[in-house]
Amino acid sequence: MVSRAKIKDLMNESACSHNKDKQAKGGGCDKVKPGLAAGGCAFDGAQISLFPYADAVHLVHGPQTCLGASWETRETKTSYTGRDHTQMGFTTGITTNDVIFGGDKRLSDSIDYVMAEYKPEAIFVYSTCVTAMVGDDIDMTCKLGSDKHHTPIIPVHAPGFVGGKNLGSRLAGEAVLEHLIGTKEPEFTTPYDINLIGDYNVTGDMWQYLPILEKIGVRVLSSLSGDGRVGDVRTAHRAKLNVIVCAKSLVTLCRKMNEQYDIPWISVSFYGKRDTTFAIKEIVKALGDSALIEKADKILAEEEVKLEENLKYYKEIFAGKKAVLNTGGNKAWSIASGLQDLGIEVVATSIRKSTEDDIAKAKEYLGENGILMKTPASQQAKVIDEKGADILLAGGRSLYTAIKKRISFIDVNQEKKTSYGGYDGLLNLAQDLKYAFDNPVFANVAKPAPWEVS
Amino acid sequence: MMEIELSKKEHKPLQINPIKHSQPMGAALAFMGVKDCLPLMHASQGCASYTKVFYTRHFNEPIAIYNTSVSDITAVLDGGDYSILMAIENITKKNKTLKPALIGLHTTGLTETKGDDVRSVGMHIEIPYCYVNTPDYEGGMESGWALTAKSLIEQLCEPTTEIKQEKIILLPHVSMQPIEVEKIKELCEAFGFETYALPDISTSLDGYLDEGQGKLANGGITVEDIQGLADAATVVSIGSSMKMAAKALVEKNENINHIHFDHLMGLDASDNFVANLMKIRQIQPVPSVKRWRGRLQDAMLDCHFLTGSSHFVVTGEPDMVVGICALLRSVGGTIDAVVSTVYAPILETIEAKKVFVGDLEDAVSYFEKTDLVVSNFHAERLLHTYHDKGLVIRGFPNYEELGNQLKNDQHYEGSCHFLFEIANTLREVKHHV
Repeated sequence: MVSRAKIKDLMNESACSHNKDKQAKGGGCDKVKPGLAAGGCAFDGAQISLFPYADAVHLVHGPQTCLGASWETRETKTSYTGRDHTQMGFTTGITTNDVIFGGDKRLSDSIDYVMAEYKPEAIFVYSTCVTAMVGDDIDMTCKLGSDKHHTPIIPVHAPGFVGGKNLGSRLAGEAVLEHLIGTKEPEFTTPYDINLIGDYNVTGDMWQYLPILEKIGVRVLSSLSGDGRVGDVRTAHRAKLNVIVCAKSLVTLCRKMNEQYDIPWISVSFYGKRDTTFAIKEIVKALGDSALIEKADKILAEEEVKLEENLKYYKEIFAGKKAVLNTGGNKAWSIASGLQDLGIEVVATSIRKSTEDDIAKAKEYLGENGILMKTPASQQAKVIDEKGADILLAGGRSLYTAIKKRISFIDVNQEKKTSYGGYDGLLNLAQDLKYAFDNPVFANVAKPAPWEVS
Repeated sequence: MMEIELSKKEHKPLQINPIKHSQPMGAALAFMGVKDCLPLMHASQGCASYTKVFYTRHFNEPIAIYNTSVSDITAVLDGGDYSILMAIENITKKNKTLKPALIGLHTTGLTETKGDDVRSVGMHIEIPYCYVNTPDYEGGMESGWALTAKSLIEQLCEPTTEIKQEKIILLPHVSMQPIEVEKIKELCEAFGFETYALPDISTSLDGYLDEGQGKLANGGITVEDIQGLADAATVVSIGSSMKMAAKALVEKNENINHIHFDHLMGLDASDNFVANLMKIRQIQPVPSVKRWRGRLQDAMLDCHFLTGSSHFVVTGEPDMVVGICALLRSVGGTIDAVVSTVYAPILETIEAKKVFVGDLEDAVSYFEKTDLVVSNFHAERLLHTYHDKGLVIRGFPNYEELGNQLKNDQHYEGSCHFLFEIANTLREVKHHV
């Protein structure tokens, strides 16, 4: 069961910078407001956080909408050689009868069916608004199922109505901490074992930087949850360091693991050259072995030289280009950093949904003359004119602005097919930017119709 | 392989790789077919967010959906009014320029379970209001869309006894894409009808580049036009799910003539449709209609070698699969299995070896012996393991292909395009192994 006390506790995470901002006004995460919130719910967040475990089945105990519109929507790549459950959908799809008489029987039958037909390493059972409200005893059904099938069957209590995506991620972290971490010992350990937390390996982002970590000698003991395995995360308590990637929601998990298992944690981003180098240096520094640090420095220097060589061509083309960035959260500075690594001047970025930390970082990256847009929807057109920007990177709704201003456009919110993470990802970004700059389509569609010409 | 019967009873406790979509999603889409409507989902915020992403990716368009963001507290304490009124206030206060012509409110599993009474909200607001009850533990996308059409008629349409002879109302089922609605409208217009479609996504989700999109339904039938629907001489329901909406309109004016078509795919259905229009108008079709009929006859003959020797699996919403199967049967296709999202009596009329309600896990067991699958986007990955099976993507969602709103499978013209797509896909998999 999910309790009020737990939610309240999670909403007031002391280690979260969002919380720091709000503390003065009464504290805690944003609460949902009717009509205004367009984002996902807690269930969405929980599912995003755990779904990349390809060796587990993710069973959604609820009516049709919760899973029907959400499965096979995220390009979370996995190297798992067994049946990849991340691109499958499992739901109890409850009906009127279950609402009236309770859905425990259906859930229990579904667990039996999944174990008989798919034999996964574990099952995550997600409660949803309706099944939470009618009071299905999901904990007991999962426990009985675990005992019967000798397989971890983990209840994830993040029904949509308790809050937003962020809270759902935290609740998923709670479930993993309570039911999985510390339930198995690793086959062996090294002094350089880390857990990666909060990278979901969308379009294979992790695979851009993992080879470098491997070369240095850092071992990823477990991942939550990109390209992760349930068996590995059970051993996560033996890692020497938790590395949280571009995510604020799972800081609670890291803080609690620090308290319970004495594992320190650091927060990094692998977007762009500077951030990738910085992230890897931070990791080896935190592991605190001078030989390792030395080795990392050497490998990073080599990688950077190689990257610069490959970037030379792009930097020449991009010289003098100016970009306006309109996207939320940490992307406001992480994408800016990547663009700057490519020699593009970022003249403005949006800080509409950013925390104080994010704003400070954006300021740092954009410098004195950079414009931080508080109301980007109304500001961006003016900024493009004033600064003579060449490209707008924003969500799909801003496409019309770009066409009207006859400049290039990249939809940064669109489901991307290639990874922009790490050093190699920067090359992918460079290539996509080149295509955007070269493409005459924006100017072509902006031409007036014959009946508009006077 | 277990025997699966076509019945209302489920054959397993869960759905694996589901094709079924919920009633609220159908309702939201229907409200997007009313001009300047503000579709408002009475739900926790995720329901609307998922639905928005789902349609944004299918249509590649900005999608207007709002929600009442029911929380754990309001789920218990509020009877619905508070969340809904707060949502409307917050939305209109935040965007002062936003002038919704209609609040299209529909419920979900959550708000039906807590038992909200959403009827009275209209008394507290000045904007026209339409509500529909769409719990997602009942029915499916098709019924959600149909219930919304029915509610729009019941709650907005003014009763009358007058009749305008040349006025016709089309009630298309949920699986008809924007261009398909437009083509049927144009066909009626060519017969001299003053034509309306309800809902009408042909002018709201048709991939039209315009400024300021995505805040309200961009196009669609106007509220004024809905209010005045009842003086039409003819109402045409397309798809068995839409019969109830047509009946609701006839209740507003008993002089309305209701004509029903289970679908408009293939020669028979198209002939039947044209014959009815000819009878009402007492005129010949325009030359292009006759021309397209000839082209369809030719297309059927051109394709029959390939289709006649091929086996098919078809999945989707009942009204859609009924049409697809009729067309495939008319050119000799053998339909091994039809997997429907929900039960509907009309499914009993399909000529196939097996018709049942299920999911893609069930459908996969028929893939081995088939040549071509007609299904939604989710079948694509499942078919990767086979090298000699074709896939033609139809139904919701189609996340990856572009131009979904311009795919026309209806009537003489659309049936030609559909048959050629089927035959060309078969050609690739059957002759290039």
